[in-house]
Amino acid sequence: MNGLPSSSPPPSGLPSSGLPPSGPPAEMASWHRLHPLSPLVRTGRHLVGLGIVLLILLFANHSSGGGGNLIGDIVVVAVALVAGVISWLVTRWQVADGVLRIDTGLIRRDSRRFPLSQVQAIDVVQTGLARVLGLAELRLRMAGADSSGGRLACLRLADAERLRAQLLSMAHAPAATVGAVGSPGPPIQAGEPERPLFRVRPERLAGAIILSRTGAYAAAVIIVVALVVGLTGKPGVIAPFLAFAIGVVLSVWRQFNTEFGTVVAAAPDGLRLRSGLVQTTAETIRPGRVQAVRIVEPLIWRAFGWCRLEVDIAGPRQRRENRSEGQRLRALIPVGSRAEAEQMLGELLNVPPRPSRRAPGRARWKAPLSYHFLAWAGDDQYVAAARGRVCRKTTWIPLEKVQSIRWVQGPLQRRLGLASVRLDVAGRRVTGSIQDRDAAEAGDILARLPDQARAARARGLVR
Amino acid sequence: MTVEDPGIRWQRPSHLLLRARRIQTVLVTAPVALVGGLIAGTAGSAPAGLGVGLGLVVVGLLWERFLARRVAAWGYAERNDDLMVKRGVLIRRQSVIPYGRMQFIDVTAGPVERSLGLATLRMHTAAAASDARIPGLDKADAAKLRDQLAALGEAQAAGL
Repeated sequence: MNGLPSSSPPPSGLPSSGLPPSGPPAEMASWHRLHPLSPLVRTGRHLVGLGIVLLILLFANHSSGGGGNLIGDIVVVAVALVAGVISWLVTRWQVADGVLRIDTGLIRRDSRRFPLSQVQAIDVVQTGLARVLGLAELRLRMAGADSSGGRLACLRLADAERLRAQLLSMAHAPAATVGAVGSPGPPIQAGEPERPLFRVRPERLAGAIILSRTGAYAAAVIIVVALVVGLTGKPGVIAPFLAFAIGVVLSVWRQFNTEFGTVVAAAPDGLRLRSGLVQTTAETIRPGRVQAVRIVEPLIWRAFGWCRLEVDIAGPRQRRENRSEGQRLRALIPVGSRAEAEQMLGELLNVPPRPSRRAPGRARWKAPLSYHFLAWAGDDQYVAAARGRVCRKTTWIPLEKVQSIRWVQGPLQRRLGLASVRLDVAGRRVTGSIQDRDAAEAGDILARLPDQARAARARGLVR
Repeated sequence: MTVEDPGIRWQRPSHLLLRARRIQTVLVTAPVALVGGLIAGTAGSAPAGLGVGLGLVVVGLLWERFLARRVAAWGYAERNDDLMVKRGVLIRRQSVIPYGRMQFIDVTAGPVERSLGLATLRMHTAAAASDARIPGLDKADAAKLRDQLAALGEAQAAGL
């Protein structure tokens, strides 16, 4: 860990003196500090905000008057910087006994432990400012509900990537070897072979976003604004709606920013996913952590043969920087051709079944718009179900991940002799819905699926 | 017509559940009708207030007619490897929750339920959508079922 200031003496009372000071594992086991520039990166957003406020003040009223506001902002940033420096001074991390430990807090000491065997995924995230400074943030994703603490911000990019590889290799090693200090499994080399699977084409991504719902909203907003300004001749009319308009346009930018340059590659420790234009994210999706796979084909995209492939992974994705991203699933293929999606699907699942069994014809009365998509298929490993009105969504759910199964019949379905079966997986975003089947067939599915899911789980445990 | 499998032995909540639900309906209907009537009475005329109040009472009574069917629709079955829960009149639901998937089990009892010695059992899995509960269990039964389910869950627990 060159470059990491590890010379800081650990405070008394903390177990660190008993570790040998030589060898890479022991080096990891000693206490480390984050990069000295991390307070700057953490307050970076405030600095950007301050810059914008400054510019607005300069342009809007150069007859002064707004100075008090500016001073207030400078004070806020200064306080934030000082707080950041203090927080950097008291934050230390250590890897020992297969546990990542992060100690922080000046007044209220806070010591968090992250057992590496519980780690779902580790991301390397670079915000815009961090990228300029060559820093990166390491985020640990656990299965639990609160992921806010599992972050090391910031480290040098090379260190962050090496640490991630080391942590992941420790996470993979069986508990017995992880338990012993100094044997963090076989360290993964930086130049390990990666098999590239997918790379998004920028022009196609731009086109796809423009043709998606977000793009349509943004286009509508721009047209309305242009029309109003053009007809009335007074730009001031739209001022009250400006915030809304900017928000819509920003959401388009944000989507482009996060999905730009998505690259997926297969590595020994899982699928490597990198993306981002200004803020870059690199994460590794460990095999067997995928709860569901979904292919989405919006109406207009179908004309071009495009689709989107998303995966659902256990654990929350709350990111203050990117809230809209947390609400959607992880897009392995933001936009790609059917063939690319099929190939990725084959990479994620062994032999994915095709949803081939159509819904009975009388389902047309209950679901006139989505009838032509309704279909499902299942084998002893996966259930595939297709649905959607204008936008076809096909969901694959591994049976070993099924949490519970529900049979649902609404009043209209009862009249028509139909029923639906839903499969829930961890998280709240994906439900595999075998929609509008013949009631007898649905009953049969409900009777058979629990046993199949149990068998699949048992196989998964053996494997 | 739910999925009727002769092999499933359905168990029902306590017969006191209907009484609990009736009390709850009265407790909701009476103040709502009173306040609604008062508002309409002060804003409009006295007959209007009386009409609104009586209307709300009638809604409560209609709901009461429906309650018996709703309560009768609840059922649960302990099978070898999973728990089955069925409920609903208009929208019928039948859930299967494998014991190994239960993350934790709650037993809760509101004031009305408590006064009748009832409790509600709630099972949580890692999926937010799978909300399985059994209301109106006898308190002792609920505790026993909870321990039983917890033991079964521990024996069959599986990772995410």
